[in-house]
Amino acid sequence: MEPALRDGDWVVVAPLARPPRVGEIVLARDPRVPERLVLKRVARVKGGVCMLLGDRPEESTDSRTFGPVALSAVLGRAVFRYAPLLRAGLL
Amino acid sequence: MFLTDLLKPKTIAYAHCDLPCGVYDPEQARIEAESCYKIIEKYNASSDEQFKTRAIVIKEERAELAKHHIDVLWSDYFKPEHVQKYPEITELCWKAAKQCSKVKGSLDIGEAKMLLDMIDKIDDVWTKAGGPTATRMPKAAAARA
Repeated sequence: MEPALRDGDWVVVAPLARPPRVGEIVLARDPRVPERLVLKRVARVKGGVCMLLGDRPEESTDSRTFGPVALSAVLGRAVFRYAPLLRAGLL
Repeated sequence: MFLTDLLKPKTIAYAHCDLPCGVYDPEQARIEAESCYKIIEKYNASSDEQFKTRAIVIKEERAELAKHHIDVLWSDYFKPEHVQKYPEITELCWKAAKQCSKVKGSLDIGEAKMLLDMIDKIDDVWTKAGGPTATRMPKAAAARA
């Protein structure tokens, strides 16, 4: 997810009260390994599922590999990075 | 308790690629390149047409694999900070990948030797960049030290 997110970033994830929207970075369960959580950007939302893509298509493993993700597996939206401080800010 | 301990996230999420195994070693490319080298040797020593045809097919396959492994090193292992410290790595990987294509299409053992030398140069940078301990398990890292 570089450059939006880097390894080791600390982010605040807010629960979703509505379906995710295209362009948002969401926290979701990896459909292959449900206990594994991923942060990816929403590319499309349709019929109870969404397509999640990384920002670096050439390196990302995302819905192209693990398929669409059920909205029930989308746990929240990454809203704010609070560390490192120098890069703190809204996502 | 420090403030940072309080602020530290309790949950880890993955934002990068596939459950990255994190094992990257130019040796993988080198073994494929050595196969190409030996296959060319065997090709030249043989007069069996069927064997020679098979040798060509297998060499092309191995050359393609060597290229793949170099690509993976370049795109997945080497990070911007490595490139900053060892700027030559970009050209080394680029040229070695091109050399794989040459070996794929050639039966000149000199081309295969050149590929081995190029991979060794990548290996030098990988070693300087802390590759053995950063990517291999202790036993292999010790053997590669």
